[in-house]
Amino acid sequence: MLRALSRGALPARALPVRARRRRWVVLAAAVLAGVLLIVVLAAGWPGGGNNGVTTVGGNASAVVYPAGHRPLAPEFTGTTLTGSKLSFSSYRGKVVVLNFWGSWCVPCREEAPILAAVAAKYQPSEVSFLGVDVRDTTASALAFTHGFHVGYPSVSDQSSAITLDFTAKVPIAGTPTTLVVDRTGHIAGAVFGTVTYPDLTAILAKVTAKGG
Amino acid sequence: MTVNVALGHVSNAFMIAALVIYSLSVVAFAGDFAFGRPRRAAATARGQARDRAAALASVGAASAASTTADPAQAPAPATAGDEPADDAGTMHELAVPALRAIREAGRWVVAAVAFAAFGAAAHTTAVITRGLAVHRAPWGNMYEFVTALTCVAVIFFLFAMIRYRAWTLGVFVMGAVVVTLGLAETLIYTAPGDLVPALQSYWLDIHVTAMTLATGIFFVPAVLGFVYLWVDRYTRRVAAGRAAPGNGIVRRLPGIEQLDRLTYRTIVFGFPVWTFGVIAGAIWADQAWGRYWGWDPVETWAFITWVLYAAFLHARATAGWRGRRAHYVQLLGFASLIFNILVVQVFIAGMHSYSGVS
Amino acid sequence: MTDVRAPETDPFDPAAEQDDQPRPGPSSPGAAFGPADWLKWAWRQLTSMRIALILLFLLALGSVPGSMLPQQGGNPSGVQQYYASHPDLAPWLNRLGLFNVFAAPWFAAIYLLLFASLVGCVVPRTFRLAGSARTLPPRAPRHLARLPRSAEYTTALPPREAVEVAARVLSGHGFRLRRPDDAGSAQDWVSAEKGYLREAGNLLFHLALLGVLVSVALGGLFGYKADRLLVQGQSFADTVSALDEFHPGRFVTAADLGPFTMTLNRFDASYIASGEQRGQPSAFDARVTYTERPGGPARTFDLDVNRPLSVDGAKVYLIGHGYAPEFTVTDARGHVVYKQATPFVAGAAGNFLSEGVVKVPDAQPEQLGFTGVFVPTAANVGGTLESVFPAADNPMVSLIAYAGNLGMDSGASQSVYELDTTAMHRLTASPQVLQPGQSLKLPDGRGTVTFTGYVPWVSLAITHDPGQLPALICGIAALGGLLLSFMIRRRRVFVRARTGPLAQGQRVVTTVQVGGLARTDAGGGFEAEFATLAAELRSAHEQAAPAPSAPSAPSGEPAQPARPAQQQAPQRHEGE
Repeated sequence: MLRALSRGALPARALPVRARRRRWVVLAAAVLAGVLLIVVLAAGWPGGGNNGVTTVGGNASAVVYPAGHRPLAPEFTGTTLTGSKLSFSSYRGKVVVLNFWGSWCVPCREEAPILAAVAAKYQPSEVSFLGVDVRDTTASALAFTHGFHVGYPSVSDQSSAITLDFTAKVPIAGTPTTLVVDRTGHIAGAVFGTVTYPDLTAILAKVTAKGG
Repeated sequence: MTVNVALGHVSNAFMIAALVIYSLSVVAFAGDFAFGRPRRAAATARGQARDRAAALASVGAASAASTTADPAQAPAPATAGDEPADDAGTMHELAVPALRAIREAGRWVVAAVAFAAFGAAAHTTAVITRGLAVHRAPWGNMYEFVTALTCVAVIFFLFAMIRYRAWTLGVFVMGAVVVTLGLAETLIYTAPGDLVPALQSYWLDIHVTAMTLATGIFFVPAVLGFVYLWVDRYTRRVAAGRAAPGNGIVRRLPGIEQLDRLTYRTIVFGFPVWTFGVIAGAIWADQAWGRYWGWDPVETWAFITWVLYAAFLHARATAGWRGRRAHYVQLLGFASLIFNILVVQVFIAGMHSYSGVS
Repeated sequence: MTDVRAPETDPFDPAAEQDDQPRPGPSSPGAAFGPADWLKWAWRQLTSMRIALILLFLLALGSVPGSMLPQQGGNPSGVQQYYASHPDLAPWLNRLGLFNVFAAPWFAAIYLLLFASLVGCVVPRTFRLAGSARTLPPRAPRHLARLPRSAEYTTALPPREAVEVAARVLSGHGFRLRRPDDAGSAQDWVSAEKGYLREAGNLLFHLALLGVLVSVALGGLFGYKADRLLVQGQSFADTVSALDEFHPGRFVTAADLGPFTMTLNRFDASYIASGEQRGQPSAFDARVTYTERPGGPARTFDLDVNRPLSVDGAKVYLIGHGYAPEFTVTDARGHVVYKQATPFVAGAAGNFLSEGVVKVPDAQPEQLGFTGVFVPTAANVGGTLESVFPAADNPMVSLIAYAGNLGMDSGASQSVYELDTTAMHRLTASPQVLQPGQSLKLPDGRGTVTFTGYVPWVSLAITHDPGQLPALICGIAALGGLLLSFMIRRRRVFVRARTGPLAQGQRVVTTVQVGGLARTDAGGGFEAEFATLAAELRSAHEQAAPAPSAPSAPSGEPAQPARPAQQQAPQRHEGE
């Protein structure tokens, strides 16, 4: 192979126009190949993308949205687990902790006592708790609320339609997700995943503060 | 729609008839090998001269008659470089009409081609009646697929053989067809029936038809590839002094160059059909399964087959890879195709398991 | 390019890089190989046919394990099973990436190198093709009779006129022409070439393959795949929470989904009831109602296996179906703690014998769990309960009850189809069979479980692939390029007209020689084309001639219009 290479060796200066142009062409081809390489590598090839799962357990991420950058929480109406109609607009003027949960969801069961404790702590003040029961049935959901002594109502969201509306505003990736809606009806904070006592109380402290 | 069982039996009867007639054709081709015209070379050289004169006449030179001044001289300087084996069994694309060429090739060839043609007619009837019996394209399970592709292979081969006057290849290709069809009839026969809902789509007519055609077409160069390797091996052994020259069978076969060319042309014919079949399969997969390519085992092996045939085409343009090595590649491609049909579709679970064989 | 005898290397394709061509060495002769030269050498090697060939083999070889071993993308449970049955081998295979071959870096390296090789070969050739768009065919050789195809005849036209007529005929066939600048009156010639589209087709094919790769990457970046199992009567909104599986591309977020909502109104499956194909499905039909956005108009659609629904830029496919038996569980206190249809999944046993699990985490005092088998058409076959037909003609359920800790109150998420009984104790000694409407009373007053009926479920795939249409277009373009490059041959036809020897008293006689040569006759048929062309030229000359051409003794060599190609001087049958 090297023998073939040494044949036809030419000094660079003496290269005819054609060969010089060829060099540029080769260079262009190399650049194109390189760009292609980068594009495909960045593609994260189908099958190698992020494996989404419906329940986000374990690593939660707590977020607070600064005033002025808070998305407006969508309005919704629904039926509570006990069968009565509920409209979210009736919660305007109060700080609402909106918890998306399901009786089948392991991290939701894990955080249920924490939510109950925070609810108990903030009940005297103007913080309401409302649950959104996702992909569940009434029988199982009621058994859950009785078992975990959940004192606040939950709206049934069997088809995840309410969740869909909220996902347009904040990236809800599954359950559990807890949103904190301020008095003006904007989403001020969120915990994506299992709620912890310090995280939730910290968010509530900020949101319930004057001007929060 | 209910299946027409009676017509299904008719189809099977024609299939078996085709099998029997093909066997006779194989016997006749073999007979041509053993007992056919010995001096084929001379006959064809004379034939060439006659044909050149005929062609001259067609161009309009008025002095046609006078140009028979020994045409055998003219090619002499050109044939110097040819291998002696090329003299016998040279393939011609001449102005001689096909029927006359068949007659000139001898009684055995006439019988063999007649049997093969009748067999092909019976085979085609069998395939068509099967289709009528099940009210759909008759390639919905492995049995139907194999019977259909062998029909394509025979028809394609007959065209090629007659066009190139390559009578001596008949015994190999028709023999392979007999074996394949026989195995299909005995081992994987499936009674005519309906297709599962997943296959009830007009895409069956497009994708599977293309694959059937392509496989049938590739069948021919696969057989020819083996012939090529055999002739090549013999030639090399003769050159190395390890075998006696003048092997009767090899002398009757077309030369290496012609075999190579015929194989190449048939693959060139089949490769776009296979490519189209893969694309049609991808479109159908998108309609049915939500993605046009999912590396399903059958998809993967269809891809491997495509890559290997592409490698064959590249090999023919690469120094050191022409000739024997290229044919290894081509045969590897066909082997992957067969593996896909016989093993992957049957034994490896995937979304493509429609063989109908449990 | 001027030598038109069939040479060792192809005369037609200045663009074809023959593998045995000498490659330029170091920029100054005698100097050592510097790093730039090494790069150039490496690039030359990469773009050589030989390396392309090897990479093609590697690509084929690398795909083999991807088809033989279970793959993470399509069969994750199969991968788990493989780990279970080959505990020592599996981790090693995993390290080599063999459980996700097509996403593995080594596989990516193979096809990326292959495409780099392709680009490096194709792009320069494209430039060359563009450049050669105006280059003329070569000069006509002196001895046209030496060409693979040639014909000769005489005409009364003077050479220049004869060539003009020939040029017109050839031009009418679409040939590109070249005439001499310095023809005398005694002889003239014209060169004609055709079939440039062949190289264009070849390049189109290879570039289209590149396009397919880019399209696939596009789909991977901006597309997504999702699954959802939907029980008859249930609805779901297209959001991540409602999906069982969600595989987004790198640049896809949850907000890109939806916002459609879909309800499964009805699912029907029919099966062949008799004959050899008894039990084989004959038709599926899923009737769904959907709204494209919340509050939008409701539409119905009949979803079928080969008939997906296009909505909101995504496509919804019917993938599979099964049975979901309905259970009602009351606990020790008499409260109904579970009341729903539970999807059971068909196993390998056939005829939709399905397995499933009921988890009641909020039963008091202890959590309850049941493993069950649903038999659509139950029959007692030799002591065991089997399903003999896939339709639910005689549905039965067999349950084993457990009580204890389901493991759902903390820790990792569980599969809804598996029951972890490590912290549970069995309540029933043997499986209890229930018919629709029957109840099973649990011991120690723990409650009851009632099998109330069943409904079907369907599994849906929701996908979005923006690279789909580009991939299709590139695929068709590739096919078109392939056909062009296989069917079109580069061929050259030359016509030489020379005044013949003038005997006393004879009229002007011009000898016209026509010669032709084609690149490796891939499709065959150049002889036929040449013969037709020669005949046409001759008749054109006859018509244009002032007087009938005199049939004289043949001058020069006898006409050989259709010499079989293999009798020509050794002509290496070049590949494409």
